[in-house]
Amino acid sequence: MRIAGLGVTFFGLLALMLLLLILPFAFPFSTSVILINLLFYTALAYSINFITGMTGYVSFGHVVFLGIGAYALGASADVYGLDPVLGVLLGAALGLVFALAIGLVTLRFRGVYFAISTVVIALAALNIVLELPQLGGSQGIILNLGFQPYSWYYTIWGIVLFEMLITYYINRGKLGFGIRAIKSDEDAARSVGVNVSALKLYLFGLSGLFAGAGGAVFAWTTSGVFPYETFSLNFSLQMLAMIIIGGVGTALGPILGAVVVYLPSYYFLTVAIGTQLIIIGFAVVVIALFIPEGIVGTLKRRSASLRELLE
Amino acid sequence: MVALAVILSDLLFGIMLGCVFAVVAHGLNLIWGVVKVVNIAHGEFIMLGAYGAYFLNVFGGFNPLLSAVVDGALGIFVGYAFYFSFLHRELRGKERITLRSEMVTLVSTFGLSLFMSNLAVVAFTGDFVGINWSPGTVALGFLELPLGALYVTILAVLIISTSVVFLDRTYIGNAIKAYSQDITATQLVGANPTKVASLATALGFSITMAGGALLTVWIPTGINPYMGALYAPISFVIVVLGGPGKMLGSLLGGLTLGVVIDVLQAFVPVSLAYAVAFLLLIPVLLFRPEGIVK
Repeated sequence: MRIAGLGVTFFGLLALMLLLLILPFAFPFSTSVILINLLFYTALAYSINFITGMTGYVSFGHVVFLGIGAYALGASADVYGLDPVLGVLLGAALGLVFALAIGLVTLRFRGVYFAISTVVIALAALNIVLELPQLGGSQGIILNLGFQPYSWYYTIWGIVLFEMLITYYINRGKLGFGIRAIKSDEDAARSVGVNVSALKLYLFGLSGLFAGAGGAVFAWTTSGVFPYETFSLNFSLQMLAMIIIGGVGTALGPILGAVVVYLPSYYFLTVAIGTQLIIIGFAVVVIALFIPEGIVGTLKRRSASLRELLE
Repeated sequence: MVALAVILSDLLFGIMLGCVFAVVAHGLNLIWGVVKVVNIAHGEFIMLGAYGAYFLNVFGGFNPLLSAVVDGALGIFVGYAFYFSFLHRELRGKERITLRSEMVTLVSTFGLSLFMSNLAVVAFTGDFVGINWSPGTVALGFLELPLGALYVTILAVLIISTSVVFLDRTYIGNAIKAYSQDITATQLVGANPTKVASLATALGFSITMAGGALLTVWIPTGINPYMGALYAPISFVIVVLGGPGKMLGSLLGGLTLGVVIDVLQAFVPVSLAYAVAFLLLIPVLLFRPEGIVK
């Protein structure tokens, strides 16, 4: 592991995380609920960043791992009365296992073929869950875990911290070279000896693990798992929107994107119900077409001094 | 005799269902095959076609077959608008689509798909609606066939075969086929690539929206803003089964899927039948990426 010359971005993010560590004590509850949601979306953004951001494999069906994590916590807490924190770990483990299994097959497909196979898997997963009475069928599972804002907050905070550190470890280390090579030209990367299949699977596994953990926290905070909600492609849209707006593949992009996407949509949620997804969808269209590098990428391209600072 | 009748009618319904699936997927197939772009929002344009038929029925008393013609005409404009807002910047002046452009079109059409379905909830409400049109049945030996579904089947086959003849026999159709094979060579013989690609996209949208109108005959209470989430994956699977760009492939893929879903429904719940049908995509991509027939 070679992490040389950690820059301003790293210490900035570290400072932000430390600030977030003490923030719940300084502000009333209502603020920490907003922060929990913000961190939840940040966790999802870093999760999809591992695969779509770093390799360019567009995973539309990422919500499937979120759903698996949510059901892992829901079923284990409902049937076995498992502690929710262990439920989150179980969600992460199952997210990893499913990501490895799905990735082993789908990561062989390139470009559009990978993208449509992930869409199809997500929709098939929903249809399968609807027919599983053990998971509550179309009714879902209603949990009674109580209002535990501090446990929610520090669990999701921990997930985000892990994701940031791993993102840094990958981008700064030897793995990053191989991964960037895959993104620019997979065949060329393979021919110079990059173990393309293993790297892609490693990243897909990581993204499944964190999406599973995030999904488990989602089930925990909403005290229930409902199939149409948890497997909604709108989650995939929000995840993609965050990394595309923030800047794909970067360490700063996902959290920046989460702030830019979540805070306005929180506002619209209270002002005009049902419009926030329309606006996010429109924003994704415009940004994907006109500024595909996102905020971080565009700033880096525009200014030489920022190029050194942002990553 | 009774058992035979049941099997026969099941099979016949599977085939008719397959034909309507085929026409719904055909527009995607044309665009995918020619401009090499997958429109993730395909299902939402089917939804738009279905709502078009619904409103034409409510306000104009049109039956779905007539609405398919109107939808098809509207689809031309929608297709041109789509081409120039989503594809032109990415395709212009390129010999083949780059991985980067592919990602841009995938993500932007995914954004479009959720933009449209969420907007449709606001505009049309989330309620299920349908068209009440039943032209009766026809007796075929011991089978009773609904005439509406029969008309749709005939029209679906007609649309697909017309598109094959158009591509094979007309000058502009040949230009579209040439574009799908080699853009530079098409330019060398004097065809304007933008004109050809935008026309193919417009035709694809026309067929998609007409397909949405025809589909309403099959779903008497099933028009809703989220129907795209069902028909988009069905279309993806059909195109992959038939092989992207093979025009008769839509028919082959549609019939396969229609029969598979119809037969599975006899054994498992409907959602599981669809889940299996969706997942057919994976083994086909793994073992027969060029489609089930070479």
